[in-house]
Amino acid sequence: MNTQYEQMEAESAFGFDGNWKDFARIALPNLLLTIVTLGIYRFWATTRERRYLWSHTRFVDERLEWTGTGKELFVGFLMVMLLFALPVFGLQFVSQALIMRGNEALGAALGILPIVAIFYLTGVARFRALRYRLSRTRWRGIRGGSNDQGLKYGLSYMWKTFVGYIPIGLLIPWSMTSLWNERWSKMSFGPYEFEANADPGNVFARFLLFYLAPFILFAGALIAGATGALAGYGIGGEEGASIGMFGAIIFLFLFFYLGLGLIAVAFYAKFYREVVGSTRWKDLHFSFEASTMDWVKLLIGDALIVVFTLGLGFVFLSYRHWKFLIVHLEAGGDILLDELTQSTTKTARHGEGLLDAFDIGAF
Amino acid sequence: MESNFQTSAQWYDGHSAIRHQGEAVWDGADTLALRGPTGAMEVAIPDLEYSEERGGELVYRRTSEPNFRLILPADIPPGLASRLPEKQVYGAWVDKLGLGKASAIFAAVSVAAVALFLTAPDWLGPRVPESWERNLGDAMVGDFGNRLCHTPEGDAALAKLLDAVDPAEEQVRAGVANIDMVNAVALPGGQVLLFDGLVQDAKTPEELAGVLGHEVGHVRERHVMTALLRQFGMSILLSGANTSVGETVFGLAAMGYSRDAEREADEYARERMDESRISPLGTASFFERIGGEGEGEENAIIGWVSSHPDPAERAKAYREAAKGKTFVPVLSEEEFAAIKSMCEKDPDVEEFDFF
Repeated sequence: MNTQYEQMEAESAFGFDGNWKDFARIALPNLLLTIVTLGIYRFWATTRERRYLWSHTRFVDERLEWTGTGKELFVGFLMVMLLFALPVFGLQFVSQALIMRGNEALGAALGILPIVAIFYLTGVARFRALRYRLSRTRWRGIRGGSNDQGLKYGLSYMWKTFVGYIPIGLLIPWSMTSLWNERWSKMSFGPYEFEANADPGNVFARFLLFYLAPFILFAGALIAGATGALAGYGIGGEEGASIGMFGAIIFLFLFFYLGLGLIAVAFYAKFYREVVGSTRWKDLHFSFEASTMDWVKLLIGDALIVVFTLGLGFVFLSYRHWKFLIVHLEAGGDILLDELTQSTTKTARHGEGLLDAFDIGAF
Repeated sequence: MESNFQTSAQWYDGHSAIRHQGEAVWDGADTLALRGPTGAMEVAIPDLEYSEERGGELVYRRTSEPNFRLILPADIPPGLASRLPEKQVYGAWVDKLGLGKASAIFAAVSVAAVALFLTAPDWLGPRVPESWERNLGDAMVGDFGNRLCHTPEGDAALAKLLDAVDPAEEQVRAGVANIDMVNAVALPGGQVLLFDGLVQDAKTPEELAGVLGHEVGHVRERHVMTALLRQFGMSILLSGANTSVGETVFGLAAMGYSRDAEREADEYARERMDESRISPLGTASFFERIGGEGEGEENAIIGWVSSHPDPAERAKAYREAAKGKTFVPVLSEEEFAAIKSMCEKDPDVEEFDFF
């Protein structure tokens, strides 16, 4: 058998050739059908969108393919409703009944149980959503997946997130990178497993900006307040000073929210560069090149599109986010196609029920 | 074989990532032969499924080998195309009907479902046997632990008050709850609670009779069951559109009655009071006190927004019911005082700390 060998360094390994007009022909009928079915069509709508996005995404010399179905997402949703929402509802009922009868402690404890369960299942849901997406993604007929059910990951998610917050949140970068590593190391594509060893040290400096922010804001407040009041005083005496002060306070509020938002974006930009850059698959290494500015442009673009279309534009956000991901995603190294055989992982028959129920985003 | 029945093709066998290139030829029967320099295979045409269209190509799968992919150019010769499975756009149902027709049908079904869910409680609620509601209520709220106020004299006076407004054989269970709020509630299972705050606020026993009668009215007219069913129905309906489990589950906790239900309960109270010759004037002055006087305009707005009708309007209805009638006192001074001091004199009553 002849060996097909791919040289990858020449051009970008990932490409996207969709356009928003074609996407609109999918997204707008989807919106219509979702509305007239009271939301039930949304599972099929998601599937049609992904099919479009995947099929217009090129990896090296072949397009991706999404093989998930609306039916399995719907079944996943029904299962979550049956296995989780119903018991939680029952528990709520019992807890309330206990409190009414004077067993406050037991009732409250039962009331907390769903909250703990939701915390645990959030972790499981993240894991299983990634597994589902990999197992429904095909490239050259080969798919990914994981043999892990994600139940242990749920526990890791709980304790790592908890520990991350204990020392005034200082360990959050560690919990985030460590969970990324744990999640991706359990995933595979074809016969090979992913490896991820992101280093929290590399994102820690950015994270410290959050702690620096109050000091910067305090200094900003003093300066803004003083200059605002002085400017106001210069224009209109005592009354002008208070107006100037007021203006300064408004400015400060804007500064505070925008400033904090900007710090968050800067952190996430660095975080994704680090974690994607530390993820490997066989002899392939990945990188994600989006800078803070790229993220800011994406988010401002999102906001403008939604505002100027009176909300209708939200249907294009999934398109924008996927394109953003693919455009900034890079890969280098070699793939030996002869050795790239079909994945032997089990595939779950149902979709992202948990993730859907808890409303957690993908990337 | 003529060119009408063959085309260039790419395929993946589903076992390895190696791409095979060559051509696909129809043999005149049920088989498509794939031939290329890297391999050859035959595929049964009934085994093929349409997968998707992507950038000028059509993708087919095989039912027996889900990982197999056959990629053909979008302009397949018509002779061959007629043998291959049809394209799908939205999924089976919508494709068969067309987008417009399917949307109209879905919309009609949805509107019918919403209408059914909205109206079902009104006719289903009164048909639920009272014993079921009582069991459900017992399961939901039980006996409130030890949070209801009891004294022998107070209980006797309350029973007398209840007799006047609830002549049914199996009476509702009425109690005074140790809560310092001017309010009263009817709960699932025929439980009616007067809050101690309301009892203390009452100037006459007739006022209490009016409020008690109103809550008994909610129970007798089956408003409680109707409201429960409505909440339940809405939460099921919304679960389709709503992705958050939490909201759906916890939304069940909130309950309310319609304005019509409030009027019905008022009417029930007036009829019972009329039968027992209790003056409705006390209730009228109660409504005037909680916001009838001098703020008519403001309350008219609140009356429309909130589920309760405008208090001034309700006070007027009670006043009119009193015209040209004579009444007897519903309770003696001592009995009224006994109800007022129920919570104070109950030695071991607990607080309602969860309201």
